[in-house]
Parts: sequence; structure tokens; C-alpha cells
Amino acid sequence: MGKSRIAAVMSLAAAVGLLTAGCGQGLLGGDSQAGDGKGPIVLGMLIPQSGSEAAIGPYMKNAADLAVEEINGKGGVLGRKLELKVADDACDAQTAVAGANKLVTEGVQVSVGGYCSGATLPTLPIFGKANIPMIIPAANSQELVDQHLKHVFLINGTGSQQATAAMAWITKRGAKSVALVHDNTSYSKDIAVRTQKLLDEPGGPEAAILEAVTPKESDYSANINNILAKKPDFVYWTGYFQEGGLIIRQLRQSGYKGAIMVGDGSVSEKLASIAGDAGEGVFATMTQTPDTLQGAEGWVASYTKKFGSAPGPYTNQAYDGVRLAAEAIKNAGATDGAKVIAALEGIDGFQMFSGPLKFTPDHTLSAGGFQILVVKSGKFALQDALK
Amino acid sequence: MTAPGATRAPALGRAASRLLDSRWAGLAGLVLALLAPFVIATPYALSVMTSAAIFVMLASGLNMVVGFCGLLDLGYVAFFAVGAYTSGVLSTRLGLPLLATVPVVIVVTVIAGVVIGAPTLRLRSDYLAIVTLGFGEIIRITANNLDVTGGPSGIYGIPSLATSPVVFYYLTVVIVSVAVIGASRLGRSRLGRAWRFVREDEDAAEAMGVHTYKIKLAAYIAGAVWGGLAGVLFAGQLSAISPGSFTFLQSALVLMAVVLGGMGSTPGVVVGAIVISLLPEVLRDFAGYRFFAFGVLLIIVMLVRPQGLWPHRSREASS
Repeated sequence: MGKSRIAAVMSLAAAVGLLTAGCGQGLLGGDSQAGDGKGPIVLGMLIPQSGSEAAIGPYMKNAADLAVEEINGKGGVLGRKLELKVADDACDAQTAVAGANKLVTEGVQVSVGGYCSGATLPTLPIFGKANIPMIIPAANSQELVDQHLKHVFLINGTGSQQATAAMAWITKRGAKSVALVHDNTSYSKDIAVRTQKLLDEPGGPEAAILEAVTPKESDYSANINNILAKKPDFVYWTGYFQEGGLIIRQLRQSGYKGAIMVGDGSVSEKLASIAGDAGEGVFATMTQTPDTLQGAEGWVASYTKKFGSAPGPYTNQAYDGVRLAAEAIKNAGATDGAKVIAALEGIDGFQMFSGPLKFTPDHTLSAGGFQILVVKSGKFALQDALK
Repeated sequence: MTAPGATRAPALGRAASRLLDSRWAGLAGLVLALLAPFVIATPYALSVMTSAAIFVMLASGLNMVVGFCGLLDLGYVAFFAVGAYTSGVLSTRLGLPLLATVPVVIVVTVIAGVVIGAPTLRLRSDYLAIVTLGFGEIIRITANNLDVTGGPSGIYGIPSLATSPVVFYYLTVVIVSVAVIGASRLGRSRLGRAWRFVREDEDAAEAMGVHTYKIKLAAYIAGAVWGGLAGVLFAGQLSAISPGSFTFLQSALVLMAVVLGGMGSTPGVVVGAIVISLLPEVLRDFAGYRFFAFGVLLIIVMLVRPQGLWPHRSREASS
């Protein structure tokens, strides 16, 4: 009885398998890569829509939608419409891998997503294998650059560019002794360590201390004491705004009188509200935003009108990512991965929020477009364009 | 073969339980898994199916600890992380192929099992659960702060076991099948019977001459090795691992798979793991409401079937 039962189960399963294999998506169905030639050109965007960073997702999606709509309104690219497919990466590696594979399956031709570096890293080989160029609007950790992958392009400023901008401003302010404070996340530490290297070069200001704090605490007085013991006249915080606001407040309460500067992760009005009066006059290193860019008022207005809220973090990069993808496909005259990559490498002077675009051999921005902002009555305003 | 309770059930229920008790159910499941790529082999489907298979392995490992031995472990993902990081570090730093890291992973996870298990297994029930929860967090935060584990951004560029996703899927299915069968056989062995005895009444077991501490440690170590090997597959599949993948939520999900499927039941745990890992993907289109819908469905299942989807039936005519 046993043998025949096995045989029955096996043959039934085999029959089901073979019948459905005819549908074309199975192993025997052959390669049916969707969409070269006709129909819309599909762009894929992997962003956090759930999980810890879910708040960022809508900003980036709206901006990309806006760009797609504008391009389609002008007749699309190569006579074809653009279509945006969004998948959730939940800022988590496993969800991101499933999401990236989903986008590949849906026939995406260029990827224009990527916010969390940890979730973006494992998707690189997936898009690479499928010969899909990636324009990464937000994620900017050094690990993305260090792999020197041909299909990966970063349009957010990098840590070293931010460090260079910070160094320029520190020198300009005539500071002598600089305390660098980071929160031990890869992004924050990267900026702090790179700034320290620039400070360590002979001449100019010196690095007084490199201090790491533990995120999400409510009291940083131990760190503050360490910093103040070195008597710096400039403090640079490279982490995020929650801790940044507290640190600024506690620095001022402890009687620190020198200058304070924060990195782009802290550029949020929440920083000013947490720090209160102590936040006034705090400097920040930040890429160009619609707020600080002349001539962007129209863009801000049309975004606000369409979505009922003002643009937020990385809206401009997400918007530029889609426009850049369209430009590259247009220049390439095809959606073929290799041709689009060549077109991206060849782009020179394409106007974006961060300025005219030209990629370095590392596929990062040749100029990060970092500026110095200052907190004035609770809001960040342009202090120095560093030009 | 059938439990006495089943004979009193209505005819339909009797037929259903006979089907569930069938020894061929496992084989049918394996055949189904092997044939699935012939139905759908898109990269997305393969990635989801591979994740599900790895999750089955995790759940069958935890089933030995929670289901067979009755030790509530809320930090099981610690072993998953130890396995993934050990193979990840060895393969990227020393350039070893992933398969070559397996012996080291086994040794390291056994050590981790002893280190975590030896002090905690002197505790019982709730206290044990809280201490394991602590250890789970310790492993994740350690990985977050060490340089060798790449800190918060983790390790990337881990080689895969196979270049093609289809081959990797089949390899995973074979390894996971062996692991599930192994766990099930272990559950029926002399050791497995001792585990069940400890679960039912630890004092009685001790009185009958079962060395309960050793027996519990054995369950813990077995669970650790299963978790660690699942970690190797996980590292191979994702090619990049970071501390964010080894949160308490992951431990809770594995435990949920075990409870949902039916504690101590091998087919139940396999089904539970598949449900838990596939449901969020099926609900992907709900975006923000994904985990809300997921939670509601889980509550409904637990209300309708509190004993689990495919509960364990004792082969000895007792209970």
C-alpha cells in the first residue's frame, strides 16, 4: 500500500506542476522579461512605508509621483509614459530583499529608491544581477560607495563631502579647538571621523576630542563633562536631532559659550524646539533644500498644492532621482541597463537641486552642494553657501 | 494511531484528522515545495519562498526548545544572529566559501547555547523567559557595537551558496527538510521523550532519574545549532546582514509560528512558519495597514483554533 500511495501523491503533484508550468512564470516557462519596447517605462522605488522610518516614505513617494506626472505631462520619455512602482523595505534587510525582487519581477527598468543604508545594501546585487541601474536618492553610507559597483549611483552628498564643508566653515570661523560628537551609527561616525582626519592635518584648528554618545538617552551630562574638560571653542554634532537638541541644551546649561554646529541628520525644526533658546545661532551642514534654494519657490508651491503638505526630508532628492532617470533613458535612447549606465556616467551639467550634476568615477556627486545654515528664531536659514 | 478524542468527533473532523495524521503529509509538503518553482519562478516568488523555508528551519529549531521541552525562549533570534554573523565574518574576512563556515558555526552556536543556557536554565517559566529576552538583546547590541561585525551597518558582500536563486532555493529546501526531519526524529528519541517528560512535570522527571538540567541544556543546544544553521542560510540569501534583522520582533515571530502551528507538532510548526512568513508578503499591497491586518488575522486564528493550526497528537494513547 505504501509504495502506491507515494506514487499517487508524486504523480498528482507532478501533474499539477506540469499543468501550471504552461502559465509561463515557472522554470519551464522561459524568459519573459516584461516590457522592452512598448508600454510604459517602469521605475521602481524601494522606500520605508512601515517600520521605524515609515514617516519618510510618503515624502519620497510624493516627490517621485510629482516628477513622473510632470515628465508624462510633457509627453514622457522616448514617446513612452513613465510609471512608478513603489515597494516597502521597512528599513529592514529581509523585507528590502523581497521588495527588490518584487520590483525586478514587475519589470522595473531603473531603480530610484533607497533610504536606509542597511536595507539598501542587500538590494545592490539583486538589481545588479537583473542589470537594473540604481539611482539612490537618500542612502549615502560609505559601504555603498566602497563596493565600486557599476550600476550604483548616489545623488545624496557623501560623508566626506559633508566633512569637507564642516572643515571649511570651522576654518572660516577661526575656531582653534574642535570637539566632535557622534552617536556611533555608521553615518554619524563616518562624518565625525572624516572631519577629525581633516583637523589632524598640520596647521589650522585642532581636534580636541572625539566623543561618542549612546542614542535615545535623556541625560548626556557625562559626555558634556568630557567635552568641556577639553575646553573646545567649537562643537560639531553629527548625529540626529533628538539627541542633538538635548546635547545643545545641556552644553549651554553647563556654561559653554563657543559655537555649535550640527550635521544634516539634525536639520529639523524639532531640533530647535527641543533645544529651545539654546538652539539659537546653532550652525548646520546641509545639502541644498527647497527652502534655501533660490528659484525653488514655484516647486514648493506646486508640491504643497498637490499633496496638502510642505516638502519634507529627501523630497528634492527623490524628485531629482526620477528626473535623472528620465534624462538618462532619453540620452541612452533605450531602457537597456548597460546603455542607461553609460548615459548616467556621461551626464554633465544636468540641473538638480544640488547644482549641475556630474558623477565622479565613484558614482557620487562631484560636488555635494553642502551649505551652512543657522538657526534663526526656531528655523534653519542660509548662513553661508560655501562658494 | 488516532487519539481517542478524535473518534468522538464528527465524520468530517475525523476525516480531516486522519489526513493530518497521515505519514505522507510531510512527503506531500516536500514535493509541493520542490515543484513550486515549476509553477512560479520569478525572482520575487523565489526570494519569498526561500525566506519561508529558512523561517521553517528557525521554527523547527525553536520547537525543540519551546514545543518539546517547554522552555519559553524569547531571545531565540540570538542564535540566528550568532550563526549569521559567524558565517558572515568568516566568509568576508577570510574569503571562505559559505559552506566551509558551517563547522565553525556549529561549534560557535554550541558554545553560545552553553554560555546562554547554563546560567539561565536554572530558572523556570517566566523568569527564564525574561532572562532569554535579555540575552537576545545583548547579542544584538553587541553586534551593533563591535567593529568586527561591521557595527550598525553590518556585513555586506557575503557569498551565496549558489549563483542562481533557483539552485539556492532547492539547496535551502533540501537542508531545511533534513533539519525538520532531524528535529522530528530527535523529538521521538530517548532524549525527546525526556524533553516531553520535563515539559509535563519537571519534578516528576527528576524523581524518575532524568537529569533535567542536562536534558534542558541539550534542548537549548539543539535549538541553538538549528538557529545558527538557519542564520548561515539567511546570510547566504541576503548577502548582507545588519543588527536590524535580529530584533526582538523576529524572536516573537518565530515563537508565534510555533504557537500558531501547534507547539510540539512538527507538521504544525512547518505550517505555522509558512503562514507567518508568507502572510506579510500576501498583505504587502496594504502598505501601512500590513501589520494591522497581520495582527487581526493572527488574533482570529488564535481565537478559532487555540490549540494551533495542526496540533500535536500524542502517539501513546494517553492524555
